[in-house]
Order: sequence, then C-alpha cells, then structure tokens
Amino acid sequence: MTARARQTSHDLKPWGFVAPALLWTLCFFVAPFLVMAAMSLWERVGTDLVASWSFVNYAKFFERGHYLEAMLNSLEVTVIVTVTSILLAYPFAWILAEKVPARWQRLALVLAILPFWTSYVVRSYSWLLVLANNGVINQVLLAMGIVDDPLSLANSRSATVIGFVHFFVMLLTLTIYANLVQLPPNYRKAAQDLGANGLQTFWHVILPLTLPGIMVGAFLTFVLCIGDYITPQILGGNQELLMPQVIMLQIGRRADFPTASALAILLMVVVTIAYLGFARWIRLERA
Amino acid sequence: MKRFSGRSIASVLYALAIYGFIFLPVVVLVLFSFQDGRFPIPPFKGFSLRWYEAVLADRRLMEALTNSLVVAILSSAMSVLLGFLAAYGIARFMLPAKGLQRGLLTAPLTVSYLIIGMGLLITFNWLGIPKSLLAAGIGHVVINMPLCFAIIYSQMGDHQANIERAARDLGAREWQVMTLITAPMLWPALFASFFLSMTFSWDEFIISFLLTRFDVTLPVEIWNLLRSGLNPKTNAVGSLVFGISVVLLLVLELVVFRKAKRS
Amino acid sequence: MTSSTSSRNRRRMLKTAAATCALVASTLGAQATEELNALVWCDHTDPELILPFEEKFDVRVNLKEYEGTGTAMAIVEQSQPGDWDVFVIDGVDVPRAIDADLLAPLPKDQLPTGDLFPALVMPENHSRDGEVYAISEKFGYNTISFNKSKVDPEDMKDMTVLWSDKYKGKIAVYDYYLPVMGMVAAGLGKTTADLTADDLPEIKETLFKIKDNAKLVGEVVSSQTAIATGEVDILVGGGEWVTAGLAADNPDLDWILPEQGAMRWSQSIGVFKDSEKKDLATEFVKYILSPDAQAKLATSSCYWAMPANAKAGEKMTDQQKTALRWDDQEAYIANSQLYPAPSAELDAQMQDAWTEFLQH
Repeated sequence: MTARARQTSHDLKPWGFVAPALLWTLCFFVAPFLVMAAMSLWERVGTDLVASWSFVNYAKFFERGHYLEAMLNSLEVTVIVTVTSILLAYPFAWILAEKVPARWQRLALVLAILPFWTSYVVRSYSWLLVLANNGVINQVLLAMGIVDDPLSLANSRSATVIGFVHFFVMLLTLTIYANLVQLPPNYRKAAQDLGANGLQTFWHVILPLTLPGIMVGAFLTFVLCIGDYITPQILGGNQELLMPQVIMLQIGRRADFPTASALAILLMVVVTIAYLGFARWIRLERA
Repeated sequence: MKRFSGRSIASVLYALAIYGFIFLPVVVLVLFSFQDGRFPIPPFKGFSLRWYEAVLADRRLMEALTNSLVVAILSSAMSVLLGFLAAYGIARFMLPAKGLQRGLLTAPLTVSYLIIGMGLLITFNWLGIPKSLLAAGIGHVVINMPLCFAIIYSQMGDHQANIERAARDLGAREWQVMTLITAPMLWPALFASFFLSMTFSWDEFIISFLLTRFDVTLPVEIWNLLRSGLNPKTNAVGSLVFGISVVLLLVLELVVFRKAKRS
Repeated sequence: MTSSTSSRNRRRMLKTAAATCALVASTLGAQATEELNALVWCDHTDPELILPFEEKFDVRVNLKEYEGTGTAMAIVEQSQPGDWDVFVIDGVDVPRAIDADLLAPLPKDQLPTGDLFPALVMPENHSRDGEVYAISEKFGYNTISFNKSKVDPEDMKDMTVLWSDKYKGKIAVYDYYLPVMGMVAAGLGKTTADLTADDLPEIKETLFKIKDNAKLVGEVVSSQTAIATGEVDILVGGGEWVTAGLAADNPDLDWILPEQGAMRWSQSIGVFKDSEKKDLATEFVKYILSPDAQAKLATSSCYWAMPANAKAGEKMTDQQKTALRWDDQEAYIANSQLYPAPSAELDAQMQDAWTEFLQH
C-alpha cells in the first residue's frame, strides 16, 4: 500500500478527501456517543433530569435482577441465532456455489435473498401469522396428521429465534457465497492431486479459507441481532425481555434517558468484547 | 455430464428446504393480503383487492412511502460520496494514522443501530434540534457511510492506481483523475454501495422511529399500522413494498447486467 | 487535522452543506397551508375523521400517535414550546398535565358539556380554579375479552379465575401497566384512586401468578392476533376496544365486566398552553366533540369505544351501538373505577414492577 501511495504528505490535499467523512463521523457518531456517555451519569428524578454524575444507573443494572437477566437473554438468543444461521447458511451457500450450474447461479442467489426486500417490520409480522395457532404451519401439520393439537410456536423465544434466523440465513448465504466463489479453483485441485478426499479437502482447505468470511458474517449477525428491537417485540410475546426492549421501555414510557444510556453503553461494552473476540478474522485490508 | 448421485439429490432437497423456509413468510404475507375478511390468517375466505385500495387511499402511508424514498436516495448519495472520497484519500495518499482513520470511519459498523439512534436523539434533544426526516437521514448516513467506504476501499487496487498514475503523467488534474478515471473504474463498487445503502435506509426502523415526528418513513408508519391491530392492510402494504422492490431489483439487474456485458 | 486544512476543506464542506440543504429542502416539501400539530391516540388518524376538518379550515393536521401518558410526556419533553397545539390524553392524567402547566383554559361556553354522559364530565379532573382545561371525548373499559366458544362466560364474572390455573396457557395480557395493574388492584378489592407503594407487593405477586398462566403479554396486534387465532382465549386488559371491531368477523369474541369491576378509561382533549394557534386548536376540539366526529371516533379503525357525547348515538347504527353495549353503559360505569393516576414516584415504581412482570 505504502509503496504505491504518492508522496504528497507535504501538501494538505489528501485531507480534503478524508475530512468530510471524518467530520461526519465525529459530529454524528463520536460526539453523540460522548453525550450519551455523559447522560448515563445523570439521573432521572421524578420528571427532571439531574446532573448527579454518579454511577447509580450502572449500579441499578447489577442490583436489579431483571436488567441483568435481559442482558443474559440477549446474549443467549444472539448466540443461538448466530450459530444456527451459520449452520443453515453454509451448506446452502455451498450448494449455490458448487452444485448450481454457472448460468443459473446468479438467479439462484438473487432468489435466495429476495425476501430481504419485504419490509423488515412486515417480515416479523408475517412470521407471527405463519406461526400462529391456526397459522399456516399448524394448519399444515394438523392436516397431515403430524400433530393433534396446534403447536404453540408464536409468542415465544423460539419465534424470536426463527424470525432472526430467517433474516440472517439470507445475509450469511450472501457473504459465505461471495467467499466461496472467490476461492481459486486450483487450490482444491492441488489438494485432490495430493490425495485428499472430499471431506479432507473441505476440512483442511475450503473451511480455513472461508473462515474469515464466515467470521465477518457472524460478527455482523451478532451486532445486528443483539441490538434489534422489532423482532423480539413482535414475535417474543414479552415472555422475556431482551436488552433493546428494556432500553426502549426506558425511552418510550418515561423518557428516562440516563438509565437508557447506561444500558446502551453496557450493551456496547458486550458488543466490543465480542468484536475483540472476532477481531483476528475481521480485517478490511486483504493481508 | 450430470450424474444424479445421492449427494446431489440431498443437495437439491436441502436447497429446496431452505428456499421454502426463506419464502414461507413472503408467500403467506402476499396470499393473505388478498383476504376477503378482517383476519389475515387461514381459512382463506376469498379474493379481494380491498386492502390494496385501503393502502392506496391512505394518505399517511403514501406520504411515508415518498419520505422513505427521498431519505433513502439522498442519504445513500451522501454516504457514497463521503465514502468514496475517504477511500480515495486513504488509498492514494500518504496520511498519518491511516489505521486510526480507517478504524474511526468503520467504527459505526460495530455499533447497534439502536445505540446510534439513541446517541443522536439525546444529542439533538440537548441541542434543541427538533425531530425530523433530516435527522433520520443524518443517522442513515452514519450507518451507511462506513459500509460504502469499506466496499469502495476494498476495490481500490493497484490496477486502478497504475492507470491513475498514467493519467496524471499525461497531465490530468486530481479531480479529473478522480471523476474521469477512478470513479468509472470503480463503477460496480460505487453502484453496489449505493444500492446497499438504499436498501438499508429504506428498511431501517429504529433510527427513524427515534428521530422523526410527523413526517415519518415507511417502516415507522407500518409499525404504527401494526399497533392499531390485526389488519390485512399490513399484508397489502408489505406485499406492495416487496413487489415494487423486486421489480426495481430486476430492472437494475437487467440494466447493470447488460452494461457489464457490453463493456 | 491542522488549522490550515480548513481552507482546503472549504469547497468540500460547501458541497456537504449543499447536499444537506438539498435533503432539508426536499423533505420539507411545499406545504403552503397552515398546520395544526396534535398529539393523539391512534384512533384519531382515520382520514374520514380528519379530512372534513382539514377541508373546512384549509389546514393540515399533523398527527403524532402515542400509547400511554408517560410516552406522551416524554414526547412533549423532547419538543420545543409551541411545537404542539392539541393534546389527547387520558382523563385521569389531565391533572398531571395541568400541574406541568401544559394546557390552556378552554372557552367553557363553546363546549357541549351538557351533552356528555354525566360521569364523563369529570370536573375534578378537567377543571381547576374555575377554568376548564380539557373535555372528555371517548371512553371505554380495560377488562376481560374472551372467546365464548372456548371459555365459560360464567367463569369470567370472577376476576380471580385469572390467577387460579383454570385457564393456564390460554391467557394473554395487554402490555400497558396502568390498566392491568389497576384491574388487579380492583380484583384484590383495592380502590385504584387510593393506591400507594404499600399495595405494590401484593399486586406484583398477583401479576406474577397471572404471568405464570399467560401465553403472552403483548401490544394490540400480538394480543389481537393471539385471541383471533385461538392462541389464547382470554385477554386481560381487553374490552370493547379489542373485540367490538372484530365481532363482525368472529362473533365468538366477547367481553365482560367481572363482578370485582373493571378499569374505565377515558380520553380527554385539550389545547396546549404554548400553542401559537389556540383558536384553530379550539376549533379542532369543538369539531372532535361534535356528534358527527364523535360517531367516527367511536368506530375508528384503530379501536372502537363509546363516544363521550351522548348525542353521537343519533349518528351511529344500531349494530355499532350493540357492539359497544350502548344500553348497558349506566351499569358499566357504576361497576368500574378510573385508571390509577400515580404520582411520578409511584409511577416509576409501578413501571419497574411491570418490567419485572414482563421478565418474570
């Protein structure tokens, strides 16, 4: 990179290119975050916001079981969703990349992500209709005699997970597929020439090569999933609360911005820890 | 050429199962948008277009749709512009602390939309800036610019740098190089990032929900509609959005595909 | 970024500014007519209700819908003075709004107070020091909705069945803490107007028992979906506002006031003190209280409920009146208490209890 970059550091022209984006990020991302961090040290007393500069909102998180529980619920759901989505999407992306004839691949891929363009709010809602007691799934199961009583699918953690997995399977299929088709075909040939069978080739060659792609997808899934409000709100039936729901309760019902800020920052801490875990695979530069 | 081994059949079945899973909610959504009755659930009582009529007659929904389009297009254009400039600056020039800059520019990707929206809400509140579509648009640029930057940056390779250098050697000015050489060469990346931004902005809920008031975007209005109860109108508007998006997608696919073929 | 970069950046910044301006300009659009900003519940958003007023006064009514007074107050807090003109708020919370100095006095002589159902005049809520600050526009009940083909209607007359396990797994709870906690309080023999923090432990304990029996706690759409699809057979906190609109499609959906009573909610409408268009806002209040508008409001697509103005009855069909139990209102009003109207401190405690209930 450095080798081909032009030696123009003496003039300020390059900053002209980078500055708008940097300023935008500083003004509308970094600064708001700092304001929020400051706000988390305030306190809501009655109808007023008081600048008490204390950690009282953070203390609340650890003292009151239901906040901590929300965080654990969020983590559990997110991990289940991420793992399930990868396990479902990888073979699918593999089939698209390897088994579908080249001229149909594009169509197959577009089809695989087409439902992404239904509105996001509507997607959760349609899952509610699909999973409802006399929704489509139960009607089919009953008609086929597989079950005698309708399964209780909607309004539960399972429903939330299904709603999430639906979305992330599409997303991960796309990222994993992109990764698979970029693999140089001669790697596989080389492995086979060296006597590896299909499984060995996959395990020792393909999987390690696609791992970075999987990890980027997994991290994206993690971030999007743990911060999502709509899916658990529509599908979860409030059987349990996830972090975004608890945060939105603070904002929406009593304008308790300090508590909401503290919870948001705690959520961010968790995401950051996850990021560090994923970091070794996530690089923007290619080597 | 093709042998139908057990493994192939398993592959086909698996792919069909996943397609089924992916399309199940869409099919149900569209089917029951034609429901002749108040409940968008089985049994299907008959075919009716009245929920579509209701959607098209709903001023608030139609305005929200327009708002969403405007916000999506403008915020995506802004995201691509800022992302492209930054990528160009970082890839082509010597700058101090490049790693830090890249890190800063892509940092919003690792933060939940909810948190970005909340930060903006609290800040705007504190500054006395009222909620508006503009505020939501600003938020959308915050979430989409990093993506545009990352996509465009990853496509800026040595190949283009050489051509750029050749242009410069022939006396082209920096802006000429950028607009006449780099941008056209990066057209697929620019287009992809614009299209992706559009999609995300079009579909984004929580930031718009927190930052808008009267003029809302479509997902927020759909959320309002949802909260007013069970109603096949929600199916109808979802199906319409889906239909329009698919048509748009196909048109783009054809245009871009053709273009790619020609060049 | 050093200081001298700024001059270099100017052109770029101008471009940024221009793009931003374009965004502003296009989103503001061309709206020449006057605007009226109203903070309302979702039943005010039907075009049939709003259009006649807009046409008569050549004004555009901007509606922001909310659920729950806490949310409304949060919205007002996040606004600038003068942003809002009309306020639709729960009747029991009007004193809170008067305390917060949000409302302007209304011209008493221009209001159809004499046409209201007497119990809905509520002078203790709406008036202070001889001035009237709001007027009732709609009312109904948070009680028990149920599917009469699945549940014995006799059982529904005793609220305690909700926390026995007779209908375990067949219950949904409407996700709004005030009415549901009020109902539970009534079921425990308490008076909602006198609730204190000391009552909370018992209410919370009972709520937890209900949660153990509940399939879900949901907002309007999830609870309606659940009862309409047979996922649950009972909706705690429901009432005519959930079932009346659905009765045409599913006649089995019914609602009842148990012997222990139910919560009566009422919405009031008033004008913001800081409004710059008080006259127009007052006209809107008068319009909403007119029999025509009252009939439309009562049967809005979002939810049905009784109009506060008894004269609206002339504008409604018998079928609509039956669905709303027009003729039973006297008995219902007698057997219902108003929502609890907690102090800010108690309110925070109740919301905490509710969050725990959700997480239970």
